[in-house]
Amino acid sequence: MSDAVKNTGLFMIVGALILLTGVLQSWNAALLILNMGLISAIMALGVNLQWGFAGLFNIGVMGFVALGGLAAVLIGMPVTPGAWRAGGIGVIGALLLGAATIAAAVMVMKRMRKGPLRALVVIVVLVGGFFVFRALLDPNVAAIEAINPAGTGYLGGLNPGDQDTYKDYGIILLLAWPAGGVLAAGAAWLIGKTALGLRSDYLAIATLGIAEIIIAVLKNEDWLSRGVKNVIGIPRPVPYEIDLQNDPAFVERAAGVGLDPTMASTLYVKLLYAALFLVVLLVLLWMAQKALASPWGRMLRAIRDNEFAAEAMGKDVKRRHLQVFVLGSAVCGIAGAMMTTLDGQLVPSAYQPLRFTFLIWVMVIIGGSGNNFGAVLGGFLIWFLWVQVEPMGRLLMDLVTSGMADGYWLKTHLLESAAHMRLLTMGIVLLLVLRFSPRGLIPEK
Amino acid sequence: MSGDPYGDRGNKDATIVNPRGTGTAQPVKGGSAKAAPNGPFLIGETMTGGYGNGPDILHDCTISVEKGEIAVIVGPNGAGKSTAMKAIFGMLDLRAGHVRLDGEDITALSPQARVAKGMGFVPQTSNIFTSMTVEENLEMGAFIRTDDFSGTMEQIFDLFPILREKRRQPAGELSGGQRQQVAVGRALMTQPKLLMLDEPTAGVSPIVMDELFERIIDVARTGIPVLMVEQNARQALEIADKGYVMVQGANAYTGTGKELLADEDVRKSFLGG
Amino acid sequence: MDFLNALVALSNYVLIPGMAYGSQLALGALGVTMVYGILRFSNFAHGDTMAFGAMVTVLMTWWLQSLGVSLGPLPTALLALPVGIAVCIGMLLATDRAVYHFYREKKAKPVILVIVSMGVMFIMNGIVRFIIGPGDQRFLDGERFLVSARDFKTMTGLQEGLAIKTTQAITVVTAVIVVAALFWFLNRTRAGKSMRAYSDNEDLALLSGINPERVVMLTWIIVAALATIAGVLYGLDKTFKPFTYFQLLLPIFAAAIVGGLGSPLGAIAGGFVIAFSEVTITYAWKKVLGYLMPESLAPDSLMQLLSTDYKFAVSFTILLIVLLFRPTGLFKGKAV
Repeated sequence: MSDAVKNTGLFMIVGALILLTGVLQSWNAALLILNMGLISAIMALGVNLQWGFAGLFNIGVMGFVALGGLAAVLIGMPVTPGAWRAGGIGVIGALLLGAATIAAAVMVMKRMRKGPLRALVVIVVLVGGFFVFRALLDPNVAAIEAINPAGTGYLGGLNPGDQDTYKDYGIILLLAWPAGGVLAAGAAWLIGKTALGLRSDYLAIATLGIAEIIIAVLKNEDWLSRGVKNVIGIPRPVPYEIDLQNDPAFVERAAGVGLDPTMASTLYVKLLYAALFLVVLLVLLWMAQKALASPWGRMLRAIRDNEFAAEAMGKDVKRRHLQVFVLGSAVCGIAGAMMTTLDGQLVPSAYQPLRFTFLIWVMVIIGGSGNNFGAVLGGFLIWFLWVQVEPMGRLLMDLVTSGMADGYWLKTHLLESAAHMRLLTMGIVLLLVLRFSPRGLIPEK
Repeated sequence: MSGDPYGDRGNKDATIVNPRGTGTAQPVKGGSAKAAPNGPFLIGETMTGGYGNGPDILHDCTISVEKGEIAVIVGPNGAGKSTAMKAIFGMLDLRAGHVRLDGEDITALSPQARVAKGMGFVPQTSNIFTSMTVEENLEMGAFIRTDDFSGTMEQIFDLFPILREKRRQPAGELSGGQRQQVAVGRALMTQPKLLMLDEPTAGVSPIVMDELFERIIDVARTGIPVLMVEQNARQALEIADKGYVMVQGANAYTGTGKELLADEDVRKSFLGG
Repeated sequence: MDFLNALVALSNYVLIPGMAYGSQLALGALGVTMVYGILRFSNFAHGDTMAFGAMVTVLMTWWLQSLGVSLGPLPTALLALPVGIAVCIGMLLATDRAVYHFYREKKAKPVILVIVSMGVMFIMNGIVRFIIGPGDQRFLDGERFLVSARDFKTMTGLQEGLAIKTTQAITVVTAVIVVAALFWFLNRTRAGKSMRAYSDNEDLALLSGINPERVVMLTWIIVAALATIAGVLYGLDKTFKPFTYFQLLLPIFAAAIVGGLGSPLGAIAGGFVIAFSEVTITYAWKKVLGYLMPESLAPDSLMQLLSTDYKFAVSFTILLIVLLFRPTGLFKGKAV
């Protein structure tokens, strides 16, 4: 089995790269790469489900990841005292009304005969509904946002603790991960239902647009996610470094292995995260592999390779596509919730399509579309590069500019620009792999 | 396909990929012609080949036409008749065999270069530019000409008077027979030395079919040899100077039209008794 | 009731900015639709191509400014524009040679080219940031206003002012000229017709002796020109910042798709549809309505339908509605 040897070798190379980071830079940096690598691998797994198995082009990964992050807030943060009474119920009511408006418009579309009258009624329902919706929503939103805007000003989440004790219930964040998946799946179902329904789908543009809209909502709807004020201090399912450092037993054990308490606590926390993430990755990878080998997975690939034949055999292509789109997006949502947990904060403006959509695509393509192990490998490898290209670029620039006089404009410019090397590198790596190994590092079998 | 690194994985997303008008030809890249004197005016000799990495469709197939002749290729569905035409035109890279035209070996020439050498080809389907007017279609036919082609266009309008009437209309709005006339007209605009037609009468009514055959005979009378693939084998062989019966990518019977019509085997197998 | 003032306010805040923005989107969407029509894929690198062309123009403008060259009341950037276009053409042709050409030879499916264009997008984005940095760059000079609000008020005696920025006027005028030239080229010249023919039916174009590589080359040249012009006009009117160009991708795609991908006429219509919907829906109507309604009914709130941050949502909703009712777009995605 030379394939198995080669693939193991590839994983070992990436492992060695991370270990090298530990030896040369710091173990904290190495573990950080490992943790984000695990999360990236999960995202890549999700995209691979869609693109690799079914040929669905999802370029809204960012949106699903952000929804996962929102789930971490909605599950992990404590409820803001008085917010529900002040306007929470009203907001929910307004949202329900908004949904009812759309449902009514759809009903009119279906029930009435085609013609100018129908168009008019639909427009009246939608426009009227919109104004009522806004009239109901705005005052309630204002009421929620008025509650201690500097600290909360939003509804909060489901954490059973109060503002002072909520961090004791960090374990609840483990629930946020599947919740992130559910939230993303719900959004994906709505998108898929509309975008995959027509003769030729238009999933690409739909996902691109929805992702931007989700980010806009997170940035603007302060009552939900505090908007650009960010949610910080999200509790975590692992102990806090400071608590460990104050724990004599931990300090003693750290001293036992020859580490100072600060170092030991940071490493310990990151290792705990790594263990948790690894479990999630392995479970999802196992499920993805099982799915690939199951009749369901075989049918998906049959549809992908010859849709007409599959359709002629009576396979419901749209249904399968919808299923796999929802599942893949859910996986991205889970990864998003995990990432927000790791960060301990939700920063809507940090969500950039290049980083959260297109980079994940690079991971999948380079790892090998249609191969789950490939996607995982791509996740680790590309994340490693994404982090390490910057210092490498700086080294390169130092080298290039070493002959130039200090203060020479080109030297200053080159040194400053080294940070932008990572985008360039990602593009070059993608194009090189597409050109010389178009099926990726671990090709589909 | 999973095996094809350049495949689309079944993606049908019209917002990112354009399904319309994409080419299927795998044209010869282009080289130069070599002198190859003697032999018939046009011959595709012992051609073997298929699409891309797929299996061979043509096996040692030979087709030739002499000046002033109408040659017809008939045969059952999937026999490789159209493929043979495409191979002669360079829309398909041959693995073995040669194509010679008017004393030159043109096997290495790209389709554009073959047009310049005087070949005109009317494919079976999508043989007009539907979004362009009739006149523009004819202009595109004359694309390689640098001289004034208004005279040729007049001749084509004389040959197909209906086209003169509809010259400003998008060709996609015409009826099936009219579209075929545009298609033939487009190919004639280069003033080709040879006209190749792939099932010109496919999908048109019997009356229109008769008229089209008349026109094709008219064209042949002007001295342009015609090579034609036909589904309506009987009518086609009736006007043919030379006939080829193809089966499974190879020559099965060859002879004059009359000979083939009289041949017992051919009649039994292909002409329905 | 003050109809005239309302009309002026409407023009000032909605119509004129909408016209300018619509022209910029239309030019961008034309580029996307050309690539879609001829090369048959959606070019994700288009936003960054605009940024690249605009960047070269910005650098050239700075150089000209440092030499003391100016166009008087007009922005110096117009003088630098041809250089920007030329460099951008060179860039796209080199990219085609080095990247896309290989996949055409391989007969790769268009979706592979979409992924390839993602790689090109990363590279161009990196190059632009590497050269000029990610920050805001100013390169506008010359007269700021064609008609300033104060002049307009003294001229007409109206309470409401109407300002027309020079850049807005230049944008619209340039867009009209460019679009007219493009349509003349596509419909009247032999090369333009050969592009339409190729877009309509690639195999038949081959049979007619049209050289595909030449058509592709022409396409990239036109796309480079369109992208640079759109990028520079947008940069003059708003500001030059690499990231905003990347973000323009969504409204540009929305415009091209609303109009019908592959249809140049559709791209223009789509550009204006998207621009006007964005501007009208995110505009605070308080002022205009204040003039139109009797004093007692004048609105207290801003009368803004959606916050400006939701402008993407607007492009997208319009897109969705159009696709639901006309899956091929307003102008039935026709050949280029």
